[in-house]
Amino acid sequence: MGKKSPEDGGRRRRMMFRAFALMLAAVLLLPLMPYAVAYVGGITNPNPGADLWRQVRQREAPPEVRTQVQGVDTGVLINARGESWREFRMEQLIPWSGWFLGGMLVAIALFYLLRGRIRIDNGRSGILVQRFTVNQRMAHWFMAVVFTILGLTGLVLLYGRFVLIPLLGPEGFSVTAAACKEIHNLFGPIFPLAVLLILFYFARGNGFHWVDFKWLAKGGGLLGGHASAGHFNMGQKLWFWGTLLFGLSLVASGFVLVFPNFGQGRLIMEWAHFSHGIAAVLFIGGAFAHSYIGTLGMEGALEAMTNGYVDANWAKEHHDLWYAQMEAEGKVGVVPERGLSESSGGPETAGG
Amino acid sequence: MFLDFVEGPLWYVAAAVFLVGVAWRLAAIARAGLKDDLSVPRTPGTTGAVATVFRRFLPHREFMRPAAFQMVAGYAFHIGLFVLVLFAAPHVEFIEQRILGFGWTPAPHWVFLLAANFAFAGLLLLWLRRMLDPVLRRISTPDDHIGTGLTFVVMFTGCMALFESHDFLRALHMLFVDLLLIYFPFSRLMHAFTFIFSRGFTGATMARKGVSA
Repeated sequence: MGKKSPEDGGRRRRMMFRAFALMLAAVLLLPLMPYAVAYVGGITNPNPGADLWRQVRQREAPPEVRTQVQGVDTGVLINARGESWREFRMEQLIPWSGWFLGGMLVAIALFYLLRGRIRIDNGRSGILVQRFTVNQRMAHWFMAVVFTILGLTGLVLLYGRFVLIPLLGPEGFSVTAAACKEIHNLFGPIFPLAVLLILFYFARGNGFHWVDFKWLAKGGGLLGGHASAGHFNMGQKLWFWGTLLFGLSLVASGFVLVFPNFGQGRLIMEWAHFSHGIAAVLFIGGAFAHSYIGTLGMEGALEAMTNGYVDANWAKEHHDLWYAQMEAEGKVGVVPERGLSESSGGPETAGG
Repeated sequence: MFLDFVEGPLWYVAAAVFLVGVAWRLAAIARAGLKDDLSVPRTPGTTGAVATVFRRFLPHREFMRPAAFQMVAGYAFHIGLFVLVLFAAPHVEFIEQRILGFGWTPAPHWVFLLAANFAFAGLLLLWLRRMLDPVLRRISTPDDHIGTGLTFVVMFTGCMALFESHDFLRALHMLFVDLLLIYFPFSRLMHAFTFIFSRGFTGATMARKGVSA
């Protein structure tokens, strides 16, 4: 064995260094090879699992799915849009509508605190004018009862998870929600009858006239000065047309939702849910204001819908044009033989 | 526990009160008898009685228009209620298992829905008219409102328990059914049976006098 020269040692160290550098480069670069090959459009490596789930979720074009179950959307295994619908309901509809309804209640409370109850300025005269017939009042209260039942049960279904579970517990809420769902679905088909009755008995007198826009410009008298009005003022007319608009929207979307056996798919059901929820919340918000001004907010207003008559001074102050017309027709202070002449009334507005 | 009570002891008590009470009331009417009518009848009383029982299913021609609302709402409610009571699937099952021992084919779900909607709409409209019409309001007594209210609550709780998802809902419905059965013989709800007697009596009396009733 000869003695190793210093040159041999240096050569050996260089070889070791090169071998180590080569190994390091291989370790770092070799795993990137598939990506590089894929990047330049090389081979594709089929992944059956990924393909299967891509098909199942149907993120791309609808696949050719065959199923023994024949029906609308039966070929859809996972409805990817359903997540968007759920997010809209949970993150937009529920909180935003909650703020809207809460805001309405706060606004009404503030209005009451600032304005107080609107009294009859000249007090009651004791002279009565017939404002609504029995049939008109019946149509109104029928709508009120059905609307209240549907509204309360609908609110339980929309907000119950957040409001009632802390109060009733999961089991109590389960019972309440099940009952509300049945009531809501069963009373729903009665609602179109209520809308039709409102349309039939209140359409007359709810057309728009120039005086209504002047009433609106004066804020119904709240901004100062007297605001003239006929049998219905602009606020009442807007509420009437809003009732029809929201009512028809709720009826149409409600039928789509409660009878899913007419060929409508998930997409239509989701749109029906959107419009049902939004129309219902707007309608309920309007009903808060309507109920307030018809009861607590204004002296003498509720009796128009309970016994059908209002005080002459109330009529002069809030519906002066209608009062003048009634006076000209000699109907002020004339109380008909109750129950005889008005029981068989048709769609005509009393004195309207 | 609650369900066992309302479907057990309370149900038996309610059914007994209903059966005995109705029988007692009908027997009292039958025992009241009629005053002797010594005049020669112009037309046979029996014919008049039977004819009037059926003729009164529609109002007189003169009153057809004023009574149109009551007729439509009344028939909607009564026919709807009849279908609900006797042909709703849970009721048929209850009748078979607890009362008669046999049943019949229940109505399909869509018929049930239709009947329930007719019954609710009819009852609500009739009740509202009772409260809003000045004449009807004056001749109504608390009994009318209690009877109507109980009927409404029974129907309402029945709808809540429609799919029997919770025993509590079924028990609630049964509780009000029991209360209605107990109240029935002492109220104007008896008209379900006595309408035949009152129509027959009026028809017979008027027929003997030669008056078209």
